[in-house]
Amino acid sequence: MTTGPVRPTLEESPSFLKAEHISVRYGETVALNDVTLHIPTNRVTVLIGPSGCGKSTTLRCINALVKTSSGHIDYGDASIQAMSETDLRRNMGYAIQSVGLMPHMTVEENVDLVPRLLGWKRSERTERVSRLLKLVRLDPQVYRNKYPHELSGGEAQRVGVARALGADPPVLLMDEPFGAVDPLTREQLQDEFIRIQRQLKKTVVFVTHDIDEAVRLADYLVIMKDGMIVQADTPEQILAAPANEFVERFLGPDRSLKRLSLFTADHCCLEQVVSGTGKPSEAQLPKGSNRCYWQVDADGKPIMGFTWIHNRIIERPITSSTHTVQPYSSMKECMSAILSLGMPATAVVDDDGRLYGEVRFETIQTISLS
Amino acid sequence: MYIRIYNQKVVKTTRSVDIGRCRHMSEELDSPPLTCYLHRIGETPVETERTEQAFALPMGEHVGQFESRLNFHRKLAAIVLLVFAVSFFFPFFFARENRISAEIPGGIAELALLPTLLLLLPPTMILLYALIRNSRRSEWLLSFAGTLGLLAPLAVLAYVGPRVVSTLGPFARYSPGSGMYLYLTAVAIVYLMKARIRIGDYIGLAVALAVVLALGHQGSFNRLGILLEARNFGTRLSREILAHIRITGISIGISVLVGIPLALVTFQSRRMRKLVFPLLNVLQTIPGIALFGLLIAPLAALSQAFPQLREWGIKGIGNTPAIIALSMYALYPIIRYSFTAISSIDASVVLAAQGMGMSSGQVWRIVRFPLATPGILHGIRVALVQTIGNATLAKLIGGDGLGVLVFEGLGQASVDMVLLGMLLIIALTVAADRIFQILITVLTPVSLRREGA
Repeated sequence: MTTGPVRPTLEESPSFLKAEHISVRYGETVALNDVTLHIPTNRVTVLIGPSGCGKSTTLRCINALVKTSSGHIDYGDASIQAMSETDLRRNMGYAIQSVGLMPHMTVEENVDLVPRLLGWKRSERTERVSRLLKLVRLDPQVYRNKYPHELSGGEAQRVGVARALGADPPVLLMDEPFGAVDPLTREQLQDEFIRIQRQLKKTVVFVTHDIDEAVRLADYLVIMKDGMIVQADTPEQILAAPANEFVERFLGPDRSLKRLSLFTADHCCLEQVVSGTGKPSEAQLPKGSNRCYWQVDADGKPIMGFTWIHNRIIERPITSSTHTVQPYSSMKECMSAILSLGMPATAVVDDDGRLYGEVRFETIQTISLS
Repeated sequence: MYIRIYNQKVVKTTRSVDIGRCRHMSEELDSPPLTCYLHRIGETPVETERTEQAFALPMGEHVGQFESRLNFHRKLAAIVLLVFAVSFFFPFFFARENRISAEIPGGIAELALLPTLLLLLPPTMILLYALIRNSRRSEWLLSFAGTLGLLAPLAVLAYVGPRVVSTLGPFARYSPGSGMYLYLTAVAIVYLMKARIRIGDYIGLAVALAVVLALGHQGSFNRLGILLEARNFGTRLSREILAHIRITGISIGISVLVGIPLALVTFQSRRMRKLVFPLLNVLQTIPGIALFGLLIAPLAALSQAFPQLREWGIKGIGNTPAIIALSMYALYPIIRYSFTAISSIDASVVLAAQGMGMSSGQVWRIVRFPLATPGILHGIRVALVQTIGNATLAKLIGGDGLGVLVFEGLGQASVDMVLLGMLLIIALTVAADRIFQILITVLTPVSLRREGA
């Protein structure tokens, strides 16, 4: 039994991107009203709120697509108003909901745009494109020369993310990047995003209106309404102590279930699992124990789960991908897999489908109690 | 003929009449019997006995697609039949004792009935037969018949016309009549009906062209009105053609140089938009002749005040006011199309480009211009076609070009001369349009080609 799963806390990392008292007014309309926001470095900051709350405007202020009427944004030591807009933007990857891939350019030319603007050498650029496409799980051989109209929505989004990462910018701005794809693809893209972020550790500002997505991805969650920040904290804190009724309503009635999205399977999966290629022996699965035994095939992929329920050994065939989870899957998905498999645990498999560990129902219970 | 349909698509066609054999064939193929069935066209409500044999079915065509094509085909076939029939009631050519004397109708209706009929009827019959029996096998017959359909009226012009004219004196001449135009229209419809133009058709067209050139070389068309007019003009004809091209070219050049930057400015500034578009609309509604005339006075005054300008050809009458007026007309399509092309670019693409740190010049160069190019070129193409036609009016204020033929012909009541001018203008227009189409295809970014045309 593991002790309670540990989620990295948001230690006071010195923020180098700070918005101080910024306001944006269009004539009479106030789009942003005195917003102060310190973006934690190397972490994911998610801005969320109902439409028109100013979340996208805040994002666009950061790369100067929208001019602030008052207040200032500091990038490192300098105010962004003092920097050249093009230099500023080339230091910040930018991905948007409608992707905005150049329709007359191939995938390679699209991903290559910022490095080309920065005048990188050709050989460096070619290698960079291959690396980025591999990073977003697109085969460079296949996709390099495709045009945007030949891509599916999910593929286009991946290219959009690769393009935003083009020149390896320290900051990544993402404006509802997964908003325009179907729920299934969106979940996959979120998994990928978590994987990539763990690898690259960028300072990310992410705008969304999907609270599940926000809770899942955020290290720092900023809830906005009517051009102002209502609450800004770690998602754990916000879920545990909503600042007011608006936040509470916004989080929805299933707050405890949403908490599960905060944790991924690898936070709390047991790596010592009992498995074998045959049926379980008495020693492997003692009578009456509440443990599980996983039967694997020659490749190490789980094909059958065994456990004792009511003095009877039960077998559950693992036939669909909803029966198992991956290390980057959220606890919520683990819960769903446990329910669909009908066992006290579910198997965690790696990218090749091989058994990697298991997530037990008790662990999930522990999390929801902690 | 029987067709076999699998999942609503035509997968097998056969001309066999033996339904038992067809069933056998279908069993040999590996499709499941439930979705595979034989379908006799005659059994569906749209078909008749005749069209049942009349069509060669492309594989993979959807049944609905096939049926609507069949209906369309039958309607067109009826039209062709009608046009052919009507054409025989009109004169195939007119003869005149001299350039401006009254027309003497020739052809089946009046003069030279028998030879005309003899030349026209057999090809017409073959053509109609091929049309009705349109099947895979009769494709070649149809190509052959189409060629005959083109050659028959030429034969009338080459053999019957001269014979009639020779009885009318040394200045007599003849020109094609409405019957012939109708006949050629019917032949053209046959070509348009084809699902696609085949090699046989190209060969046929080439043969027809070769025959025309050979006959012309032999002197068979020597007494044809338009050719007599063309001969009268001599070298002046080519001069006027070149002048027409030059006037059009300069006008389009000016309006491209003025129009495209103006479209950019209009796109950038809302105030300019409110100014430019109403102005263009008004400009477009001024009748051509009026605009040409309006320019005479100011230009005349200008050249009076600065005699130097006169040496450069800038004066109240002549080509200069024509070019100015024509470029003003051409501005409308060029600015409109360019503006639409620029403003219809997906906003998210531009936003992404700016967000990536492109300067505004780079946004124009890397994003907006390449994406707007097809639209801008379409505008220029429309302007070009329009200007070639309008340039005819240049003659009215003392300019050159093919308008000279048209308006002098009108003045002299010489139909042939007007016709010669008009045919040349049409030929120029079609040629310019084609060349531009090719240009547009070449200059459109590869990935955008599938949308445009």
